[in-house]
Amino acid sequence: MAGWLWFLLQLVIIAGFVTYLIISAKKAKQENRTTWFMKTWEKDSVKSIASSLMSIILGLLIGCLILFIMVLIPTQGSKLSMKSAIDGIQLIFSGIFNTGRNANGSLIFGFNSVNIGDMLFRATPLILTGLSVAVAFKTGLFNIGAPGQYLASTSVTLILALSIPTSVVHPIFVWIIAFFGGILVGALWGVVPGIFKALLNVNEVITCIMMNWISANLVTMLFDKQIGPFKNLLDPSGTKNLAYVFKTTHNGVATPKLGLDLIFEGSQVNFGIIIAIVIAILIHIILNKTTFGYQLKACGSNKNAAKYAGINDKVCTIVSMAIAGGLAGAAASLYYLAGNTEFAWETYQSLPAVGFNGIPVALLACNHPVGTVFSAIFISLLDVNGMQLKYMTPYNEYITSIITAIIVYFSAFSLLFKQILNGKIKINLKNIFKRNSEKTVETIEKETATEDKKEVIE
Amino acid sequence: MENYAIEMLNITKTFGGKPANDNISLQLRKGEIHALLGENGAGKSTLMSILFGLYQADSGIIKKDGEVIEIKGPKDANKYRIGMVHQHFKLVEVFTVLENIILGSETTKFGFIQKKESREKIIKLSEEYGLNVDPDKLIENTTVGMQQRVEILKMLYRDNDILIFDEPTAVLTPQEIEELLKIMKRLAESGKSILFITHKINEILAVADRCTVLRKGQYVGTVNVSETNKVELTEMMVGRKVEFVVQKEECKPGDTVLEVNKLVVSGSKKNKNAVNNVSFKVRRGEIVCIAGIDGNGQSELAYGITGLEKIKSGSIVFNGEEITHSSVNRRNKMGLAHIPEDRHKFGLVLDFTLENNLVLKKYNEEQFQKFRFIKKDEIRKYAEELIEKFDIRSPQGPTNSARTMSGGNQQKAIIAREIDVNPELLIAVQPTRGLDVGAIEFIHKQIVAQRDLGKAVLLFSLELDEVMNLSDRILVMYEGEIVGELDPKQTTVNELGLYMAGTKNNVKGDN
Repeated sequence: MAGWLWFLLQLVIIAGFVTYLIISAKKAKQENRTTWFMKTWEKDSVKSIASSLMSIILGLLIGCLILFIMVLIPTQGSKLSMKSAIDGIQLIFSGIFNTGRNANGSLIFGFNSVNIGDMLFRATPLILTGLSVAVAFKTGLFNIGAPGQYLASTSVTLILALSIPTSVVHPIFVWIIAFFGGILVGALWGVVPGIFKALLNVNEVITCIMMNWISANLVTMLFDKQIGPFKNLLDPSGTKNLAYVFKTTHNGVATPKLGLDLIFEGSQVNFGIIIAIVIAILIHIILNKTTFGYQLKACGSNKNAAKYAGINDKVCTIVSMAIAGGLAGAAASLYYLAGNTEFAWETYQSLPAVGFNGIPVALLACNHPVGTVFSAIFISLLDVNGMQLKYMTPYNEYITSIITAIIVYFSAFSLLFKQILNGKIKINLKNIFKRNSEKTVETIEKETATEDKKEVIE
Repeated sequence: MENYAIEMLNITKTFGGKPANDNISLQLRKGEIHALLGENGAGKSTLMSILFGLYQADSGIIKKDGEVIEIKGPKDANKYRIGMVHQHFKLVEVFTVLENIILGSETTKFGFIQKKESREKIIKLSEEYGLNVDPDKLIENTTVGMQQRVEILKMLYRDNDILIFDEPTAVLTPQEIEELLKIMKRLAESGKSILFITHKINEILAVADRCTVLRKGQYVGTVNVSETNKVELTEMMVGRKVEFVVQKEECKPGDTVLEVNKLVVSGSKKNKNAVNNVSFKVRRGEIVCIAGIDGNGQSELAYGITGLEKIKSGSIVFNGEEITHSSVNRRNKMGLAHIPEDRHKFGLVLDFTLENNLVLKKYNEEQFQKFRFIKKDEIRKYAEELIEKFDIRSPQGPTNSARTMSGGNQQKAIIAREIDVNPELLIAVQPTRGLDVGAIEFIHKQIVAQRDLGKAVLLFSLELDEVMNLSDRILVMYEGEIVGELDPKQTTVNELGLYMAGTKNNVKGDN
């Protein structure tokens, strides 16, 4: 009951605040002055954040709607009721704070160290794959190769961490070697599409996808039970169909916890999250404070102008893809060096989702490096909330995956929302219902209109 | 009461609190050519967009034949027989002329297009107004002038009787302009009412009956063209007196700065070199102008010299050093400044702020970086200096995004940046394209000032006035070759036109 009330209270507070802002802005407009809110609103970054929030909220609302629809669909043996839908909504919004059910069977909420710690742990690789995609985007490239870079780095990290005898080399040095080894291989996997793009103008999306599958098959071969050169690293306790590579703790190598396990008791979190955040800040500094970042961004926004200014766009493309690959590599290294994660790889199954999830992470953050930290944490929050939904209600894991996917899907609408906030797109309900054929000519005309408008507004 | 085809009364339209049109009235008589004159950003395009239904006015009314009408979109505009030729043509390149004309109002039978009737109508219209259009030619194979006539035919095909021409002469050669003006007169004679948007006063004097002038979104006045003159119209448009003739002293050429020898650049065409065997020299203290009709290899020549395009053969010597295959960066460092033809494609990173654009070629210099870390304060200071010096206007000053600046101010920013590197050679490609009189005057003064400082200036221009006024020596380019070297003091616009059209050639030997 308490959770339900809290939820209502939150809604009332938010609605009240928004109404206050709108009313004060309207009043100020009439009196021809500006409020603090209007001034802040003019800033681009504020609009970015607002649009991200709007898309998240929309996604969450649609997710809730699906919970209700699932209740309404008659299924044999379904245990879903209205109560489970209401529980579900609470869990979608605040499942991370769920601490179980009380004697009456209603959900209770509070600080849940395992959930929060796990959220941070799951966010670690996402931050880095998100950064990987964002850095490439900033240079005008679409790094869809993050899964392949991640996978390549995974295998090399594990091989290095498990093969170097800790009796000879101190585990910390093994950790460092494995970490940087992973980054290097990731960078290698990223630089190939970069070179093809720069020198031969082959679309990086194609080469990235190729590299993904090369990586997938290569890893399958490396850890094959019969012929794999590294089959000695497989955990014999795996079943016939599923092979596990040893956890790195098998060799005594693991990322230190540095007290984080005390704060988030019982969770998997480790020092990796701090490393990921530091890398995000470093990338932010490189992109925004250095001449190198200036070059990359110039290439990304306008390749021709960059060329004209004497910037070597080819080098920019290659280096940017190498950095992107390295970041995806670091994601894998940090995840598998945690010590409590095991790598199970089956032939041709799929590419690691965490690589692809870098794309929504980057989009949600509007490609801002520090923003990726928050969007990655948000997406792993959804994951954790989804798991709570699965454990605490009769909704099965597929529904939770669908809802998470929908929320992520809507979060990609943040760019659209931003354009609406900037007044570039006007929502006209009449137009939506008009026939498509009528629209075509108009859209062409409208395009010129916006161009003209730009000229008018000096 | 007078018989007006279209009346726009007390139109006001604001964008984000800034009035683009402030209480503007425009009355178009039946069968007249009415010019709409104003600088860039004066509100011409906004006003026409309102008439065409792309925007809705905040207040004010539109009347057709005395009746108040409401135009909510191009469909409505079409219903009231208002047609528009846009500055950038709206044609499908891979369709034929016929298909482009009927696009959107095809006659169909059982869902199949009936082209026969349309073809007859188009041929009839084409003959009636002397448009000389071949309905079966693909648009991509036609000239710009022809494409424009297709746009005119599009309006006539839809029986429009109010025709809006948005800066129609910007893309045409002198001969094509003359042809267009004739067509416009013919259309007016047959009862069509024409709105002619332009900032070129000579053309207004040539064809228009009346002229309405806008300035900074305000209505300045409407005058009968027969009772006015160039000076008066310009003053109305700009709000002050403007010097048309560029004031400059005698040219005193010094040493050779740039030497181009038998240069060949292949360009995009397969079987023909865009620049073929071109040789010339540019000396200190002179403005050499490459004249010619658009698309005769000028762009490729400029890209070749500035390093943006690869050289096939020949050589370029700059200040005694061969730079034929040097990188763009090397050329920039040696003192080659370049005002590019396409300011959006090459000149600016539109998503960057103004200040970041101003250091586009300088960000790597000691002044702006330490250990590769950018000194933001220094950039701000430098940007503010340039903004002050070159009068670059933007709402938010140095932090304004380049994208939201007006064309004139974008160009000023590029010129500020290029001139401030203190170049040995300034290559200016169509530096005044699409700009208004005030901005043109400013840019011309800057270019002459560079010459007087002893710099070499290589100017590429399509505007005959600019070529004649600004240059000390004219080289005419035709089909990738230099066909004439002229002295602006001893030649006429007509003679220049003949060279540009390829009918005359005074360069022998090499070519």
